[in-house]
Amino acid sequence: MKLCALLLAAFIPCLGQPLPADTNKAFGNPSAPVRLDVFSDFECPACRNFHVNMLPQIERDYGPTGKLYIVHHEFPLNIPAHKLSREVAAYATAAARIGKYEAVADALFQKQPQWYTENPNPIKFWDVIAGVLTPAEQKKVLALAKDPSVLAEVQSDVDLGNRLRVDSTPSFFLTHGMQRFSLPYQGLTYPLFRSMVDNMK
Amino acid sequence: MIASDNTHLAAPGFASSRAAKIFMLAARIVLGAVFVYAAYVKLRDPWELFAMSINSYEVLPLAMAETAAHVIPWVELALGLMVISGIWLRISGTILSLVLLTFFTLMVRAYAKGMQINCGCFGPGEAISWKTLLRDGSMAAAAIAMTCLAFLQRRKTAA
Repeated sequence: MKLCALLLAAFIPCLGQPLPADTNKAFGNPSAPVRLDVFSDFECPACRNFHVNMLPQIERDYGPTGKLYIVHHEFPLNIPAHKLSREVAAYATAAARIGKYEAVADALFQKQPQWYTENPNPIKFWDVIAGVLTPAEQKKVLALAKDPSVLAEVQSDVDLGNRLRVDSTPSFFLTHGMQRFSLPYQGLTYPLFRSMVDNMK
Repeated sequence: MIASDNTHLAAPGFASSRAAKIFMLAARIVLGAVFVYAAYVKLRDPWELFAMSINSYEVLPLAMAETAAHVIPWVELALGLMVISGIWLRISGTILSLVLLTFFTLMVRAYAKGMQINCGCFGPGEAISWKTLLRDGSMAAAAIAMTCLAFLQRRKTAA
């Protein structure tokens, strides 16, 4: 039986164990029939485009229905143009520990052009994060961002992405029952996404 | 089922040579199987995934990409089965060659423009690269050669 399961997992990669989820970085009903896993890099302009333009639509339409569970994962790309990515991911993960992931992620993506590496006169990304936190929360996040367990959590997201063969951001996986589909970012439109989710009974 | 066309055995020249017949048979089996498999993958997955792949090429409006995502897998399945079985080989070979040339042209265009998109050939997850171009280019060349041979054999038989 175990051998059969191993063979099945080896030959049908889209079938497998449910992906791990940090509930502090998730949105929606955890027992929803459809789950969307998003791998993002805070310095990636395409990720910004998704988070600023499409994600609010998805949350607005599927939040009340309980049909979709959205889980965010960090996938900081290891390239010179994204030299702040991993550090920012650690701060966002630290914010998640105090229940502030969504507010911090929204602010970071909204103001990405002002702080990201390629801006010749960037503002500090911490100023963006601090802007949505109280002074007490700021202290907690500053401390947690250096915590080895937070850094390990970011790395475990990266490891998960590598196992799923994520090679660019944003990357999306839509899971319905035992089926998992990788959605191509280029060509992804909200009407197609919505049609696909709505057709999953 | 592989159909054999014994009326061509007496036809002279390269088109009726043993090498040409072996090439024709191999091309029909390989190209047909590839088309049937490509259709199977697309029909197995939600149609929206293929529509996203088509949309990523940025050549069709979304509504047409959606229509194409519904139609292309069935065309691929029909062509694959027709080529394997040898039914109307000149017609199915011509259409298959045109389809492959269209796919190849679109992939070359995307690669030349530096678009980092999936090929969409066998479902999502396969980025366009020189390897996919080489594969699809070889398939297009084989399809054209197969179709030309089918016409040559017919002409020699008729003569």
